[in-house]
Amino acid sequence: MTKWLSDFWVWIDDRLPVQRAWDTHMAKYYAPKNFNFWYIFGVLSLLVLVNQLLTGVWLTMNYVPTSEGAFASVEYIMRDVPYGDILRYMHSTGASAFFVVVYLHMFRGLMYGSYRAPRELLWIFGMAIYVALMAEAFLGYILPWGNMSYWGAQVIVSLFGAIPGIGEGLVQWIRGDYLISGITLNRFFALHVVALPIVLILLVFLHILALHEVGSNNPDGVEIKKNKDENGIPKDGIPFFPYYLPMHDLVGVIVFLFAFCFIVFFTPEMGGFFIEYANFEPANNLKTPEHIAPVWYFTPFYSMLRAINFDIGPLNSKFLGFMVMAAAIAILFVLPWLDRSKVKSIRYKGWFSRIALMVFAAAFIILGVLGVKAPTEGRTALAQFCTLLYFAYFIGMPFWTSREKTFPEPERLRMKGLPLWMTLGGLVLVAVLSFVPLKAVGAESAFDCGTIPCEDFKADLSNKESLQRGAKWFDNYCYACHSLKYSRYKRVAEDLGIPPEIMTEAIVPDAKKIGDLMTNAMTREDGAAWFGTPPPDLSLETRLRSPEWVYTYLLNFYKDEARPVGVNNRVFENVGMPHVMVELQGLLECAPGTKVGAHGEAVLDNSGEEAVDFCGELVPTGEVTGSMTEEEFQQAVYDLVNYLEYVSDPGAEERKNTGVYILLFLAAFLVFAILLDREYWRDIH
Amino acid sequence: MPSELLPNFANSPRTISIYRCNWEKDVMSNDGVNVQRRRFLTVSTTVVGAVGVVGAAVPFIGSWNPSAKAEAAGAPVKVNIANLEPDSMLSVEWRGFPIFIVRRSEQTLEGIRKLTGQVADPESTEYPDQQPAYAQNPIRARDEHPQIMVFKAICTHLGCVPQYWDVNHPTDRDEWYGGFFCPCHGSMFDMAGRVFKGVPAPSNLEVPPYYYESDSVLVIGLDSEGAAA
Repeated sequence: MTKWLSDFWVWIDDRLPVQRAWDTHMAKYYAPKNFNFWYIFGVLSLLVLVNQLLTGVWLTMNYVPTSEGAFASVEYIMRDVPYGDILRYMHSTGASAFFVVVYLHMFRGLMYGSYRAPRELLWIFGMAIYVALMAEAFLGYILPWGNMSYWGAQVIVSLFGAIPGIGEGLVQWIRGDYLISGITLNRFFALHVVALPIVLILLVFLHILALHEVGSNNPDGVEIKKNKDENGIPKDGIPFFPYYLPMHDLVGVIVFLFAFCFIVFFTPEMGGFFIEYANFEPANNLKTPEHIAPVWYFTPFYSMLRAINFDIGPLNSKFLGFMVMAAAIAILFVLPWLDRSKVKSIRYKGWFSRIALMVFAAAFIILGVLGVKAPTEGRTALAQFCTLLYFAYFIGMPFWTSREKTFPEPERLRMKGLPLWMTLGGLVLVAVLSFVPLKAVGAESAFDCGTIPCEDFKADLSNKESLQRGAKWFDNYCYACHSLKYSRYKRVAEDLGIPPEIMTEAIVPDAKKIGDLMTNAMTREDGAAWFGTPPPDLSLETRLRSPEWVYTYLLNFYKDEARPVGVNNRVFENVGMPHVMVELQGLLECAPGTKVGAHGEAVLDNSGEEAVDFCGELVPTGEVTGSMTEEEFQQAVYDLVNYLEYVSDPGAEERKNTGVYILLFLAAFLVFAILLDREYWRDIH
Repeated sequence: MPSELLPNFANSPRTISIYRCNWEKDVMSNDGVNVQRRRFLTVSTTVVGAVGVVGAAVPFIGSWNPSAKAEAAGAPVKVNIANLEPDSMLSVEWRGFPIFIVRRSEQTLEGIRKLTGQVADPESTEYPDQQPAYAQNPIRARDEHPQIMVFKAICTHLGCVPQYWDVNHPTDRDEWYGGFFCPCHGSMFDMAGRVFKGVPAPSNLEVPPYYYESDSVLVIGLDSEGAAA
């Protein structure tokens, strides 16, 4: 048996360079032994790439790339496909994770001079990966066909219109239509799932091939190949296998997976940064979301685009903005030739380089933060200044690197880096440099809930009684006009612990079965005729607007004879919806009350008195008396919104329960990995 | 495997002293590596990692199961059979398949019993999975309503839909009490869905799970109320 196996192995190896490849890239690839924490991000980006490929392939199995079907198919994956929500969140979280690790990987390169000769080509391949990744992420963001997808595509594609002469024609050619449409979606889908992944894989292959040809740089920036022993093995090198992969890297991978799984299972939208709330509304070519911002990883460049609000001579701001954005990325490609320092690593570069890198990092972070906020005069000025700093870093680099006084490089690698105070000092410096200017340009002023601050609301999806009552309120007061069309009766019954017979009897309409979607009979045309705008589907309403908003909205109807339905709303002014629960709450009307500021504080008028708002509070009219007390009504609305919050993401509670076990498992795995790593590294240091 | 796992005596500059006890020889390699501990940690970490890989595979494998949409489309079907005449047939759709429901007259049931020698598997014992246990009998029906026959109208030869030929339909058979004829390759089945000898179809027609909600309402797709689909 053993003989047969070894013969087979020889037969294969004679025909395929398996052993040679293994030695070249693993067992006899000598990596510097002083890699630190910053050297994990290459392996992590490979891991994320694999995650994106696998989950991506699985998502295409149920995704429908048409303008009619895309949004619904994503909700189908989220609700109806077994484990679909986990696969989708792995993919969406993976997209952001990809940029997290790639940005840190690039910063590592900046710190230790990993782009310097002989690694110029390696850096250029890496930059090409970064550009391809941005294109891939942008195209992927269109696919859910939410309103943010749509308008994101609109804005980015329109950028090409800035190119003089050919711009307009080019934009139309990219769209394949007179507006972003299903045709555009179809071609972007093809690029996202077929063309760009192939390009990415090829580039990653070249990146690794180039790396293993020249060998890894290290925190000292000293070539280990200069010091070889009698066998030609670098004295400061250790075999990549098994010391880094799998031993050292496994530890980092598990720590990464811990953070990754935490996000996937507990907070997949990551507060709107990984999945934007406005994308829970289907694409609408007639309505732009109120606050439009790209996903966080594009925001530094988006800020630069917005910062260019002036014309220079014949060049208008649109074209200049486009050029600045393109140049910001292009300039990174030539970085290897901008750095003229005698040394590579920040450990031995002069003080000017060190501070400049921190300032550059802070400017990049500030641009990123500004990109998710609405522009104000102060913020635009700050964005302009940071854009200037961004370019100054690269343009100034040849001058200061060739002049500044550097520290002597060691002959051999050092296991210890800069002193701890200096490392922490750098971190604090970046934090302070990022935070202070942002603080200076001010806070938002608008209320989150229309004319008033939002009420507090904390969903409790484990409270089955509350959810059941909510389902009842929905059926009694909402379902006549609003559907939950991505949700199925059966799933709701199972999740809420409602027996199927009762569900069928009480909630499922006669013509439908328990497995059906919770659509309703009102057509969009009827709804539009009766209320001005068709009542929206509420499957995703609390994710779109936040549960706080919906809760506050439902409590704030007041009498207004001027409106067709006789009521108005303090949260949603001039809303077409009647006060459907008036029999429970009673009819309220405006009364003068204290004017409230953005943080719930009383606003003072010119004379120093508390200012009065004509609709500062709502009081009973006495015309219609509610059957409930105020507390009972608040509880009913709480239950209803709690139910809507459940419906918006029915898998949320179960994911959290699963997530706990996964995190515990990873914690245990980490212990094994650390022990094993220490066992192998015992003799190296 | 990394060479450190194996004690490398061949290259050792030191010779093993006879005074060293056996335990040390087993446990320590020449360069001071604790082989046992290293092996234990390698194996245990690999095992834990393998558990992790299996766990990660769960969503990928599990997502290929029928979705809620497929399950809803394949949900049990209720059929009212109150108006089904003797020796007539009703066709309904369940999970995308034609399901034939036949009410057999006494004469027809009598005929079925006479055909024992002419059908390939009279007691449905050869292919027990072709029907639920409660329909594994010569007339292939539930005890409550022996005259009602429910079966999936998919020929067991190559999947065509057979046609219903009543007792008056001309055939070249000597004895004919009505039955089903597959137009694709001429397979024939009797009024209990049993395949005749000498035709290409290998087994009797499949009986799906079903139960009676009442005397007139038949549910196709479940063995009993509340059973798993």
